Amino acid sequence: MEQQRREPAPETEVTLREFTEADAEALFAWASDPRVVLFQRREAYARVDEARRYILDHVLPHPWYRAICLGAVVVGSISVKPCGPAGEEGEGASRASLGYRVAHGHWGRGVATRAVRMAAAAAFAEWPWLARLEAVADVENPASQRVLEKAGFVREGVLRRYVVLKGRPRDMVMFSLVDSDRDERAKPKLLLQVKEPFELNKE
Amino acid sequence: LHDTINGETSNLPLILLQPTPRDPCAARVPMATEVTLRRFDLSDVDAMMAWASDPEVAAFCRWAPFASTETEALLAHIRDTALSHQWYRAICLAGDARPVGSVSLEPTADPCRGELGYVVARAHWGRGVATAAVRAALAAVFGEVEGLARVEALVDVDNAASQRVAEKAGFRREGVLRRHYWHKGRVRDLVVYGFVSGDPLPPS
Repeated sequence: MEQQRREPAPETEVTLREFTEADAEALFAWASDPRVVLFQRREAYARVDEARRYILDHVLPHPWYRAICLGAVVVGSISVKPCGPAGEEGEGASRASLGYRVAHGHWGRGVATRAVRMAAAAAFAEWPWLARLEAVADVENPASQRVLEKAGFVREGVLRRYVVLKGRPRDMVMFSLVDSDRDERAKPKLLLQVKEPFELNKE
Repeated sequence: LHDTINGETSNLPLILLQPTPRDPCAARVPMATEVTLRRFDLSDVDAMMAWASDPEVAAFCRWAPFASTETEALLAHIRDTALSHQWYRAICLAGDARPVGSVSLEPTADPCRGELGYVVARAHWGRGVATAAVRAALAAVFGEVEGLARVEALVDVDNAASQRVAEKAGFRREGVLRRHYWHKGRVRDLVVYGFVSGDPLPPS
């Protein structure tokens, strides 16, 4: 009897891939949307050319920046940025920060949550120096806070007036996923190794 | 405001001790610790060496201690860091021109927030000097650094003495940043304290 394989419906499968300049129009679709850029530093783009420049100047040279695809359609982006010189001791050396944006028409379907989980797994797999992956969400952005919680991040607290968005300092909720959160394997048990019979002084 | 730390010892590597043994029968008179903050001068190098060369002071700090003979290197540090910094101040006790420590505001990834660092020579621990200096810094820095909305302090979870300084000086504890900082071979959890423009300062 032939086994029926259930493939995931292509339009619901989330994948991540690298950007190309040809994605400028797709990026423009959400980067020009005030609802999407509301909690971002930048103002909404007015011209596709701004999106093209952003891909060339910022996305392509970035350490880790991916397009979020639903089937073949680019619906958002996700990026992970090391906070310091990777692998050397010092400020930011063991952590990276994550950010993401999804086109408004694809909100509420778990796209961002899946993308965050995949990006987190990739970051920890690719960067052995990584101990902490952090992300912030505006206190007035509960949807983004839920994405991070569902993706397994731990809420650490509210950092007041943490980041300037559109010219105003905003309170941010800080979330993190750390190496020990992800260690699902049982810790190796400590064994007492008796190499030779141990004899007390025999007198 | 009586700022001396109750002198119980602990297993923490950074311990605030009274510099001389206390007479348990002597009444302790509460005294406010007065400090002033001023800019550094190259002539402060000898005073600065007292804390810059002290491994106990450096234990929780990001820098390695200088050797006491490295005067030239410390002069270069004053020139290249303290004198050209956005906000770096010497801590002086009332009536004394020689600095006993430093407090500075480091830039961060965002222009609206700065990170406060503070250090006091060991001979002056246990008298509320750091607390008074941090409080004075919080009172001054928003008027002196443009665009600043937030000052934060990140303190090792094991550095209870420095946590008490931050709390008594007026910072609000906001949470713990896990696995945040790679310090001298280990990745550390840090307590994050925040003080925003408009927060109340405790009475000095």
